Amino acid sequence: MNDQPAAIVFDNVSVTMDGVRILESVNATVPKGSTTAIIGPNGAGKTTLLLALLGQIPHGGTIRLLDGGSPGGRPRIGYVPQHLDFDRGTPVTVMESMVMGLQRMPLWFGTARSFRQKARAVLAEVRVDQLADRQLGVLSGGELQRVLLALAIEQDPDILILDEPASGVDVAGEDLLCELLENLHRRRGFTQVMVNHDMSNVLAHASHVICLNRRVIASGPVTTTLTDETLARTFGIHLGLVDVSTCRINPRRKA
Amino acid sequence: MADLSFVFDAVGRIFPFDFMQARFMQQALVGLVLLAPMCAAMGVQVVNFRMAFFSDAISHSAFAGVALGLIMSTDVRLTMTGLALLVGLAITAVGRRGSLSTDTVIGVFFSAMVAFGLAVVSRDRLVARDMQRFLYGDILTISEAEIAWLAALFLVLMAFQAIGYNHMLYAGLNRSLASAHRIRVRLYQYVFAGLLSLVVIFSVWAVGVFLVTAMLIVPAASARNFARSAGAMFWWALVVALTSAVAGLFVSVQPWARTATGATVVLVACAWFVLSALVVLMRRGRAA
Repeated sequence: MNDQPAAIVFDNVSVTMDGVRILESVNATVPKGSTTAIIGPNGAGKTTLLLALLGQIPHGGTIRLLDGGSPGGRPRIGYVPQHLDFDRGTPVTVMESMVMGLQRMPLWFGTARSFRQKARAVLAEVRVDQLADRQLGVLSGGELQRVLLALAIEQDPDILILDEPASGVDVAGEDLLCELLENLHRRRGFTQVMVNHDMSNVLAHASHVICLNRRVIASGPVTTTLTDETLARTFGIHLGLVDVSTCRINPRRKA
Repeated sequence: MADLSFVFDAVGRIFPFDFMQARFMQQALVGLVLLAPMCAAMGVQVVNFRMAFFSDAISHSAFAGVALGLIMSTDVRLTMTGLALLVGLAITAVGRRGSLSTDTVIGVFFSAMVAFGLAVVSRDRLVARDMQRFLYGDILTISEAEIAWLAALFLVLMAFQAIGYNHMLYAGLNRSLASAHRIRVRLYQYVFAGLLSLVVIFSVWAVGVFLVTAMLIVPAASARNFARSAGAMFWWALVVALTSAVAGLFVSVQPWARTATGATVVLVACAWFVLSALVVLMRRGRAA
């Protein structure tokens, strides 16, 4: 794994917001083509690190993206946010949401057939093509999450960034999402970076892990990095929430 | 300035009612027919971006704009427009960078604008009377030059909408997501804020400070209820705004009504909203 070229290099990344230091000297590498999980307790700065990676908050240090699709070009990014904080009464159909980033012609005049076909193919990849004409506001948590995944995949990303992809999704939806991600990753070969708190999920799907608690506690291949000692240092007094023997956060105790 | 009398004559022929033969009525109708679609189109995004309070702050900057014009002894329309633009862009910039929440930022600007206007106006009773024009609006006195300006703004704004509607919808859904997916959110935010400021201040002249936000929000809110897609929402907003503008003007000049035109336009739009809410209820009833 370590021999693989890097897709993302975090070099001494720090983030301070309102005088509070949220991330301190983060140094880590995301190998190209890997599925890298960022884990840590609440308030560890996981989402902040993703936002810094997306260039949406100011940060110290440098974040180098080396996974350019074209030579010298910036890599294309697909992003799946944790929540879509939107007005559920807004009448936007799934198809419109898929087309609005591609089509120049305003949606008042409808959607062009070529974009519709492309959108439908991507929707089919995440098994929501039957929802194309439904409004976003009426979708369940799992369906909305898959539409968001389709929006990200539509970017034909070199790097796919997911923030707690399974939050707000039931167990069946979570299994489906994991299966879809696994297939997409295998087929499309992108580098996948996700914030995840579900240890069994990390163990099952991630190849690389960054343990974060305001600074990097450890990072490397999952099998060698996720030791009892690393987990204890990452989660600190919250370790009681993590059943290390099964490596799964107990959802009931999490509440 | 181009001679627009052929447009007004045409309006007189299209609506062959007695009350539409006066030139001031023809000019008022052209003014409203230009303003209503702009408010409708921008209103769709004001609702999506949840910027009703923003447009309120801009309309209330009219107080400070008038005061500034008086202090500087220049045309108040110039100072109103300039100040509205400045306030709109400043709120956007502070809201983007600052750690304060957007409504707090807008609240501070809002208060400063109203207080400054009232402070200056309170020194002079004559000015206070002048200010009333902007409180209630006066579309019936719109001049030909003002209509020409409205038409220019109309062209720029509709071009912007045609280019940016889809991307602004994306940004309205989720800014982080749109930005990550290569939508130029910041550019759209600033251009939108600038154009919205201009539409708002032009609307102040037509319907008054109190009712500007209604012109933006009510057609878009009705459209949100009627439409089942984002494309249809635009057309519904346009239909509601245009029919309200024309019907409002016609009703307001009837001898039995004799109401303020701006207020009447907004009342017709509100009737549309009630109808749209009933449609939603009926749909829910059918789905249940």
